Amino acid sequence: MAATQTTDRLGTLAERARAIVGPVWVLSDPAQLSTYECDGLTNQRERPGLVVLPASTDEVAAVVRACHELGIPFVARGAGSGLSGGAMPRAEGVVIGLARMREILAVDLPNRRVTVQPGVTNLAITEAVAPHGFYYAPDPSSQQVCTIGGNLAENAGGAHCLKYGFTVNHALSAVVVLADGAVVRLGADAPDAPGLDLLGVLIGSEGTCGIVTEAVVGILPKPQHVETLVAFFDTVEEGGETVSAIISAGIVPAAVEMMDRLAIEAARAVTKMDWDAESALIVELDGPESEVRSQFEAVTRICAAHHAREVRVAASPAERAAIWTARKSAFAAAGRLAPAYRVQDGVIPRTRLPEVLRGIAALSERYGLRVANVFHAGDGNLHPLVLYDSAVPEQVEQSEELAMAIVALCVEFGGSITGEHGVGTEKACSMPKMFDGDDLTAFDRVRGAFDPDGLCNPDKLLPTPRLCGEVPGFHRVHPVERAGLGDRL
Amino acid sequence: MGLVEDLAADLGPARVRPGGPDDAIGGRVPAAVAEPLSPEAVAAVLARAGRDGLAVRVRGGGTKQSWSAPPERLDVVLSTRALHRLIDHAPGDMTCVAEAGMPLAALQAAIADVTTHRQRLMLDPPGGAEATLGGVLATAAAGPRRVRYGTPRDLVIGARYVTGDGLAAKTGGRVVKNVAGYDVAKLLIGSHGSLAVITEVALKLHPLPDAARTVVLRDPDPDRAAAFCDAVRGAPITPALVEAAWPEGLVLVRVESTEEGAAAQVERLRGLGPVEELDEVAADALTADLAARAWAGTGPVLAVGVVPDRLADLLRAARDAGATLVARAPVCAGELALPDDDPDRAARLIDAVRALGGSVQLRRGGEDLRALVRTAPEPAVLRLEAALKDRLDPHGVLAGAAR
Ligand SMILES: Cc1cc2nc3c(=O)[nH]c(=O)nc-3n(C[C@H](O)[C@H](O)[C@H](O)COP(=O)(O)OP(=O)(O)OC[C@H]3O[C@@H](n4cnc5c(N)ncnc54)[C@H](O)[C@@H]3O)c2cc1C
Repeated sequence: MAATQTTDRLGTLAERARAIVGPVWVLSDPAQLSTYECDGLTNQRERPGLVVLPASTDEVAAVVRACHELGIPFVARGAGSGLSGGAMPRAEGVVIGLARMREILAVDLPNRRVTVQPGVTNLAITEAVAPHGFYYAPDPSSQQVCTIGGNLAENAGGAHCLKYGFTVNHALSAVVVLADGAVVRLGADAPDAPGLDLLGVLIGSEGTCGIVTEAVVGILPKPQHVETLVAFFDTVEEGGETVSAIISAGIVPAAVEMMDRLAIEAARAVTKMDWDAESALIVELDGPESEVRSQFEAVTRICAAHHAREVRVAASPAERAAIWTARKSAFAAAGRLAPAYRVQDGVIPRTRLPEVLRGIAALSERYGLRVANVFHAGDGNLHPLVLYDSAVPEQVEQSEELAMAIVALCVEFGGSITGEHGVGTEKACSMPKMFDGDDLTAFDRVRGAFDPDGLCNPDKLLPTPRLCGEVPGFHRVHPVERAGLGDRL
Repeated sequence: MGLVEDLAADLGPARVRPGGPDDAIGGRVPAAVAEPLSPEAVAAVLARAGRDGLAVRVRGGGTKQSWSAPPERLDVVLSTRALHRLIDHAPGDMTCVAEAGMPLAALQAAIADVTTHRQRLMLDPPGGAEATLGGVLATAAAGPRRVRYGTPRDLVIGARYVTGDGLAAKTGGRVVKNVAGYDVAKLLIGSHGSLAVITEVALKLHPLPDAARTVVLRDPDPDRAAAFCDAVRGAPITPALVEAAWPEGLVLVRVESTEEGAAAQVERLRGLGPVEELDEVAADALTADLAARAWAGTGPVLAVGVVPDRLADLLRAARDAGATLVARAPVCAGELALPDDDPDRAARLIDAVRALGGSVQLRRGGEDLRALVRTAPEPAVLRLEAALKDRLDPHGVLAGAAR
């Protein structure tokens, strides 16, 4: 009965959507729909009821209005490169794909900003302004594919956010289709607009506060000078202590990245590099030439003082690129070390790196599964890769337990369950590790203000009974209360 | 029983007193001033307010009450001044956590142990030594250093707060990178105490530079002064301050870097215009003078912002209105001080800034002027703001106004 109703409503929506966007841009064929059943977190899948591919703000708004009227949940989708299940649809819901909205609408060099549609990739912004000596600072490793809409939704960061900040520090305004289909501009052209910082809370809300259909982001002039080195250490601890020492010396590098032996081995398997150490530390400085040169000398001295076995300085842009290729390949290369792996994204205070890395090693031993570490060391954002064999059922389970134990360890050290990948469905049930019932209730109120009917990417970010069972102390507003028909007091 | 007695029963007699003329906000004297010692006590005040239908205004140092609309009713001033502890300073992590009633100046003093670690919270809002962390956040107040380090929204990494109905909650954390949960701190920053009482703040710190050098350019031609600022913005230098001031047509640039870096950058600046370098004493004196200048008189003060390529127009608008302007040139945000209460002059200036696509907020001035400054947001924005107010302060006890 309920299933028939759902099918009917989806049928009605499909009809209306075809009228809005044109029949070819509405997908309902099961084979086509399965392309949209997951994002980069491939072990969680759900085939959506419908996929709609609008081409303008007006079309997005009309589709969302239809969903709102019919009570059908919807989820925005950029490139689907998310790693926490954020773009995973519901079976009875709709995917609103933004792949057709990928125009750069305006480049305003005097005011250092670019206006883009949501499906424009992160890298495309930099490519558009690079000829003029500018770039877009947030640089997620996925920047060739991920979209600016997805970046805003996840508050994406990258290797260089240590110095330059995250998406939220660079987005100036956005046109947003709200959960009821209303269209608003959040943020403003000029600084210090009165009113609440609604853009600030939308960024990082994982697609639960509305759909971004246009964004204005700031760009920066390319730094005058860049220096990059990679230092090799005989222990992981020495690498970690070097990070602390650099930060304590008052130096803010553009990036500080670290890889352990297993991650180095993985990278070696897919690139031509010859690195061989217990840990490798990549440090990049950028800025005015004389400043960079003097600080780079200091960094080199700090590496030596912490017993770096070798320090290699990139002598050319090609050598710099090779260092970064090694770092960026480690992720994908993990596939060479084991049939499957899980990525974690915990954050710790950066001074606790040595202890936490020891803790991860101990956990790895206890579970009998290998963990490769490749991470943003400068801001304490770990990316442990838990390696396992998906053909061995116990390993599937144990790898998940191990991954969760690592997350718990990060929280124990005063950190966070996620630094950049988002909570999504993957870590929704881990939110109570970091936040108590009142914290979650307050979050839910914020969400409810944007999406009172719970249709805008439901089941993400906050634990729900459907995902996690009852969450102690977390008081969700019941629809009856919402409608003013009852009260708990 | 009276309100003071009621609150004394909740908080203890030492934490409550009757309001006096000095506690008036917008001409309204509160019946009681409560100074809770803990978030639980904050919740207790708000719970009573909810039950008894009281209007509560939050006050930190009391330096920026004029930045938002006065309360329509006022029963209780909730002072955060007893919440003034530094909870944690992790020098190696460059973070700290403090209670919201801690004065910014006290925090800077507590963390600036020059012998062991050279670091600072890079916020320099107006308001002097009395301004508290909570008040600075609630008003989104920032000063000249925002050019390099941003505003409170860029430096806050977590917060604890009590919603209008007494829910004590936290957002963010203590680490510099974190995307777990909604960033409620963004909502509280600039909310002027309308959604919740901020009780604790976690902040990102920055290292103090090895060297600082300051130059000034004096050019009473708005176009040339603005062109110089634009050249500074495009040059490979790392200024901590770029303050443009009218009527002198003065631009102060302070570069902060390594010794070698600062020296090289001063050379660069000499190539961009006829600048004069100031020694440290003169530089500090002029910087302090600029920071105080817009507030020096007794006339109205507006906060204005325009897009960066409108700086020359903004300088001209100040000139034409006979106003004093001190602006952070690269972000094009600053304060405009009017010489008198002439409403026509104010209206002309506000229109001029709006014609540039700019924003205007009232920092000091009468309610007539506030009415001139106020704009109506889009209906959908208004609905969202009302929905947030409704859910975070369901009984409407917090008498702060975000606009
Ligand atoms: C190899 C690899 C490396 C990565 N490295 C990084 C990294 O360094 N840093 C980092 O931060 N992330 C990284 N990621 C994660 C991912 O790329 C980012 O989260 C990215 O921002 C997602 O963008 P997307 O377009 O793929 O979004 P999707 O995966 O399509 O969606 C992500 C979320 O955003 C929402 N969304 C998408 N578009 C919109 C819109 N227009 N309006 C509102 N909501 C929207 C979706 O509903 C979903 O909740 C990496 C991923 C991979 C696969």
